[in-house]
Amino acid sequence: MQVTLKIERYNPESDESRQETFSVDVVEEATLLDVLDVIKDEVDGSLTYRKSCRMAVCGSCGMRMDGAAVLACKTPMRPVVEAGEVPVISPMGNLPVLKDLVVDMEPFWEKFRAIKPYLDDGGEEPPVKEWRVQQAELDRVMTEALCIQCGCCVSECNSMEADPDFLGPAALAKAARFVGDARDRGRMKRLQMANGAHGVWDCTRCYFCNERCPKGVDPRDAIAKIGGEIYAEGMLSDKGARHAQVFDFSSHATGYLLETALVPYTDPMKALDVKFALKMVRAGKAPNPLRPHRANKLGEVRALSKLVKEQEKESLADKRTGVTVDRENES
Amino acid sequence: MKSSYAYYPGCLASLSQKELDTSTRAVAERLGFSLVEIPGFTCCGAGDVHEARPEYYLHLNARILGQAEQLEQDTIMTICNVCTLNLRQANHKLREDAELLARVNKNLAEVGAATYSGGVEVRHLLWEIAEGDGYEKLKQVAERPLTGVRIAPFYGCQILRPSKLLGFEDPDRPQSLERIITACGAEPVDYPSKIKCCGFPIVLAREEVALGELIQPLAEAQAAGADAMVTPCPLCHLSLDAWQGKAAREADIDFDMPILHLAQLVGAAAGLSYDELLFKRHLVRTDRLTDKIYAETTQ
Repeated sequence: MQVTLKIERYNPESDESRQETFSVDVVEEATLLDVLDVIKDEVDGSLTYRKSCRMAVCGSCGMRMDGAAVLACKTPMRPVVEAGEVPVISPMGNLPVLKDLVVDMEPFWEKFRAIKPYLDDGGEEPPVKEWRVQQAELDRVMTEALCIQCGCCVSECNSMEADPDFLGPAALAKAARFVGDARDRGRMKRLQMANGAHGVWDCTRCYFCNERCPKGVDPRDAIAKIGGEIYAEGMLSDKGARHAQVFDFSSHATGYLLETALVPYTDPMKALDVKFALKMVRAGKAPNPLRPHRANKLGEVRALSKLVKEQEKESLADKRTGVTVDRENES
Repeated sequence: MKSSYAYYPGCLASLSQKELDTSTRAVAERLGFSLVEIPGFTCCGAGDVHEARPEYYLHLNARILGQAEQLEQDTIMTICNVCTLNLRQANHKLREDAELLARVNKNLAEVGAATYSGGVEVRHLLWEIAEGDGYEKLKQVAERPLTGVRIAPFYGCQILRPSKLLGFEDPDRPQSLERIITACGAEPVDYPSKIKCCGFPIVLAREEVALGELIQPLAEAQAAGADAMVTPCPLCHLSLDAWQGKAAREADIDFDMPILHLAQLVGAAAGLSYDELLFKRHLVRTDRLTDKIYAETTQ
């Protein structure tokens, strides 16, 4: 079949960017990576991109097709051709472009290193020859452990576009993988790090990371796991955690979000923005704080919150201990 | 045609974004949708409770789903992206894990709340009028075509992503809003960031980051010549409307972009009045647009 691609080229020596169209004949089963290989072999040897394993394991060939980050080796071209499309192939977003489709991964690795992506055993000796992980313990981190560090999740991270220092979905998913590891003793340090200025509370929940991840890691869900543990530990120093606390509290205090408590409790300084508050009042958008909207059957949710809170305490105790099985009786 | 829904307006439409609830009810009547009230529903917890207390979030949403079941309704209609994802995600988890459902139901029963058996679907108003019978009905009720009005669709995030939980349309090339805009006689305006985030979830905790996100769609829609933007989410609406002034100062761009709720767009085309759709409750004045729409009537 014939595949036509518009490829974004960038030459660092001349600092020139241009879009170039290539048409090549490839086999029906060809992936995007196969097409790039044919172009490089047969048409233009200077076309530059990363590749290695060709089987969605090494994470080298992340790039964008029509603005969406994909692994080139995992993207079959037949549906694209059958739809009569000529896709634009460009480098991943949120990372500096080095040449053509190759981005500088250094800022990615820097954030990765910041979360200390290795086991912290706290100097503890394993109870038997080695730390044996039970299936249930592995299951807790299995999703995050699937990450191949390709950068597809980072490419379209909306918060990182606005705050380049945001640790981002890949590094935070890796942090979640160690926070949840039964053998790890660095949980509190990791939570404190993730609770920092450019940590979990920077996430705007755009879910592009979950959508783009070629391995099903669901980085947004991993970020939420860390946020949940930070909250459970009562670490409420960050405005993001206090914002969540208002939702938690109001869901059982009145049943509805206490909008008037949200601003002063999350960020007292913002409550002093009288001009903005007056605009809201004039448009009728500021509910009366003295007469909050109340849900019916409020007793149900109050009792529910209390009951679940007790159960949450038990689960937190497990997480603090890490290891959830009796090691003493292992041989 | 499906005509009866358990109606879940959520918090914002019940409170600060009241114009959305009012417009939805008026539009539903025109479309022949019967909206059954859920007595004693609460907040879905938004992304916040979902993150901070995932177990409690599941219970809150299971209770709402159970309440709909108690009303003998098989579908909840939502009008907010965040409520849609929250309810659908909880529904998905509860349906696929019998043990979890049993545990949650035990707690619900213990506090005397409605339990849930797994028989409810959660659908956003957008989906109900973008295709099938709802779409046909929409075309019938759109008796005052918004001819010559250019509308930029803004989807927001949690109606598209994660697609495995939402899945109504291609999350990268959605067309539902465009179809509705066209059915209302207006012209859809295309621009790249229509599927991106409005920044609302972090606008209080990280205002600078949120404004950075908000500026992009506003700037692109304005540059593309839109008369207004329309969104299916009251959080996106609040961000695009109430924070537009701050975004303008931050970007040093003179934004003047009226923001419509989906139900207001449909309502205007269905012949509902300026007052019925509560356009006066917007921070960014809608006059430039509504004068055009209501040229023949007095406001």
